[in-house]
Amino acid sequence: MAGNKKIGRKDLVKLLEKWSQGFTVFAPSRENGEVLMREWDGKDSGFLEWYRNSTQPPKDVVLPPMEKMFAFHKEKDGYRIEEPPPQQQQRRRLLFGIRPCDARALTIVDLPFKEGYEDPYYLARRQGTLLVGLSCTRPYDSCFCTSVGGGPSDASGVDVLLTGTGDGYLAEAATPAGGELLDSAGLEDASPADEAGAAEAKKAALAGITRKIDSEGLKDRLLSCFEDREFWEKAAAKCLSCGVCTFFCPTCYCFDINDEMVGEQGARFKSWDSCAFSVYTQMPVENPRLEKWRRVRQKVCHKFEFYPMNFGVMGCVGCGRCIRLCPVNWDITRVLESLPPAAES
Amino acid sequence: MTTDASQRREFPAGGNVYLPHIAVIEKIIDETPAVKTFHFNFKDEKLREEFTFESGQFAEYSVFGVGEAPFCISSSPTRKDHLEFAMQRVGKVTNALHRLGVGAEIGLRGPYGNSFPLDVLQGKNLVFVGGGIGLAPLRSLIWNVVDNRGRYGKIDIVYGARSPADLCFKYDLDAWEKDGSIGMVTTIDREHPDWTGKVGLVPKVLEEVGPSPDNAVAIVCGPPIMIRFTFPSLAKLGFTPEQMITTLEKRMKCGIGKCGRCNIGNLYVCRDGPVFSYAQIKDFISSEH
Amino acid sequence: MADIDIEQKLRQEARGLLEQGKVDRILGYEAGSLKFTTTPLVTADKDDTERLVVNPFVVNNLSAFLTGMEGKTGIVAKGCDSRSIVSLMQDRKVARENLVILGIPCPGLIDVRKVEVLLGKERDELEDISREGDKVTVTAAGKKTELPLAKVLFDNCLACDMPTPEEYDVLLGEPQSPVADPAASRAGIEELEAMSPEQRWEFWKGEFSRCTRCYACRNACPACFCQRCFVEETDPQWVLPVPRWQDNLIFQLIRTIHVAGRCTDCGNCERACPAHIPLRSLSKKMYDMVDELFHYRAGMDRNPEPLLTAYEASEAED
Repeated sequence: MAGNKKIGRKDLVKLLEKWSQGFTVFAPSRENGEVLMREWDGKDSGFLEWYRNSTQPPKDVVLPPMEKMFAFHKEKDGYRIEEPPPQQQQRRRLLFGIRPCDARALTIVDLPFKEGYEDPYYLARRQGTLLVGLSCTRPYDSCFCTSVGGGPSDASGVDVLLTGTGDGYLAEAATPAGGELLDSAGLEDASPADEAGAAEAKKAALAGITRKIDSEGLKDRLLSCFEDREFWEKAAAKCLSCGVCTFFCPTCYCFDINDEMVGEQGARFKSWDSCAFSVYTQMPVENPRLEKWRRVRQKVCHKFEFYPMNFGVMGCVGCGRCIRLCPVNWDITRVLESLPPAAES
Repeated sequence: MTTDASQRREFPAGGNVYLPHIAVIEKIIDETPAVKTFHFNFKDEKLREEFTFESGQFAEYSVFGVGEAPFCISSSPTRKDHLEFAMQRVGKVTNALHRLGVGAEIGLRGPYGNSFPLDVLQGKNLVFVGGGIGLAPLRSLIWNVVDNRGRYGKIDIVYGARSPADLCFKYDLDAWEKDGSIGMVTTIDREHPDWTGKVGLVPKVLEEVGPSPDNAVAIVCGPPIMIRFTFPSLAKLGFTPEQMITTLEKRMKCGIGKCGRCNIGNLYVCRDGPVFSYAQIKDFISSEH
Repeated sequence: MADIDIEQKLRQEARGLLEQGKVDRILGYEAGSLKFTTTPLVTADKDDTERLVVNPFVVNNLSAFLTGMEGKTGIVAKGCDSRSIVSLMQDRKVARENLVILGIPCPGLIDVRKVEVLLGKERDELEDISREGDKVTVTAAGKKTELPLAKVLFDNCLACDMPTPEEYDVLLGEPQSPVADPAASRAGIEELEAMSPEQRWEFWKGEFSRCTRCYACRNACPACFCQRCFVEETDPQWVLPVPRWQDNLIFQLIRTIHVAGRCTDCGNCERACPAHIPLRSLSKKMYDMVDELFHYRAGMDRNPEPLLTAYEASEAED
């Protein structure tokens, strides 16, 4: 890959305009106080003044809250199924400003959607989306990415990583696709001063992460206390069983499938679902997670025990959204810290 | 106890694993007031020829506009002129299925899941323990075994239901009763004027029948409470957790290990199951229920 | 009485209740894991009572946890919370004899979002928020800014009907007068009423396009105590669980109607919504309609039957 590039602060809008010719560019936007990744309005880069992280994680661009899987039509000689137009035919997308935690989260969500049977809806969107990440400068007090294998300038999920240097951005290509994007953008090479500025910024951001937990051995600690009903009842006591933590989590991906028919036309939809909901595992004869403590246990264990068992990584990137958005300030870091030590084997 | 996933045949429609194939209902059998068996075949000739599955696998059946639900394929892969599934009327999709008539079109995605490990069962004595509609996945395996009788040892079947009216697959029970190489015991939970046969809950009757655990494997399927009590009964008879196989049921949506909801611990019933040995699940199952 | 003194008294009372076995658990507030937040404390351990706090950020309506709680509970309740408790008693969801209500008179809760907007800073960038009478001093980047209390209270606090609980076992602190600004509290509704129906429709379409059907509003609401919510029914499927704006709007409208006569305008729903949808513009409107039509405000009086479940033959048909 070619060396790093430099983007001057005043050149950023022109760059976004250039990229808009080949991609649909998504950038942070604010709607009634909620920050969302939406199609860039083409105006300016003013969002950089206030942008820290989006309320809804950028996973909504590749795994939207709802999507139509296919339509069906009842015709004279039976049903006809109509697939939506292939995602490949649609314009590629460029997600500008995604934070390292959220980008890394997508690599984590990829795992169940790729293994075994491939989920065409997710994968088509994912393959059609380029990620231009932005190193963090103002982490939240709820961020704990460094405790779960990430960091404020971690490039492991992005195609390009931008880091502020003071008068602009250092642009590092993290994948071949990212390299192509930068090469075709006609940018000047980064100078040693740019590299130094970015290195300083990265160091400062790391120092800004104040929330830390020891994630070593969480899997074993959870395995040991799986049957500890008293622990889980206490941990679950104030949970409301709403879906905020799961819907706004960049690594949560559970979904529901529902049909709708109006007259002779209908469709099947995929939509976000949550293991926190009491009906999530509802069966006619019984519900294995009727009690709230079982659902809270499932959520914690899925992220920090079952996911590592199946894929070798934790299902959490420490973005902190669950902590700052939870209506009762249920804090997963507090729960994890309070886990008893693993039993001696 | 899980069969190698890479060996499973896949039949995604149009390459999209979520698209159902169209199938047509050819025959409907009223097993009990609440349970029906559907005989069906794919509309597409080529698929009808090519489609294969293994005993224990399930499929996702659609009533278009109403929804999808998972049921095991209850016919045996050794009898391919049509496919079968059976289900109890309990909710939105099953009620809609029960309202369909012969000739109606349904959707089918599959086959999914793992299957009964025939390689492990070969040469062994088999003890089938079923309750109510739980006989559906078992009957696929039983006919599979019967059609290849020479490969297996003794066959014992202990099957029960709440009352005579709740017994499913009565035509199978008759056939197995008449088969000299099968020890068939049918029981109902409580005394009933129309019943002169055995009376008692399945786990208790199983203990009375007392099959030997030597070179044997028990395959269990029924209501969760029956399964829960059958494992200790089998243990009493000397069966080890590895000698007990069951097929589990969970709320499912995608059926392919993506939507997240059917897990027991780190295992997904749709992907790593539905066939499990008791040894695999005993750590998580006791506190899941 | 300063918050700190009320806190001390509360901790003593709560500890006493647990020590004497008068309650099985205490339900109160403790310091949250983020600045200027509190979080519910549910404990049967008398030593945990040292963590109980009383401050301008005790936002959750704890009565939402009461339905289904077994045994006896000592619950910390502000005025609005005590009204919710009374409403739950009317619906027979909680028995009075199973509660020890620790009432805390409330001068209004500070909406940190409003502080954020006024100072142009986010919560974790603020150093201190403290209330002295009707003034709030916010410290950020070493600089102090004084704001009038009325500018930073939650909208529903500005229309508070009962700052001091009237249903209680112990009252901790002096009765409070509300910081009333009913006009400000209804500002969102006034704006909507001034719009044409088409404009209003566009407004709600935009708002509900952000709704993800997380049900935080429903689960945080004490009046939503149904074991099986109408959205969870599949046969018939009243509303599809798919977050299309139309379905989201219908869900919220039906929910608002379902809680009519039970909603006390505690504001929990709007506070819980992660998408900042102005749900109170619907629930407060409903609250006012119930007041106009039936001269009834939930939880103000424990004696009557719940409003919409009681029927008198003499009532008008129209």
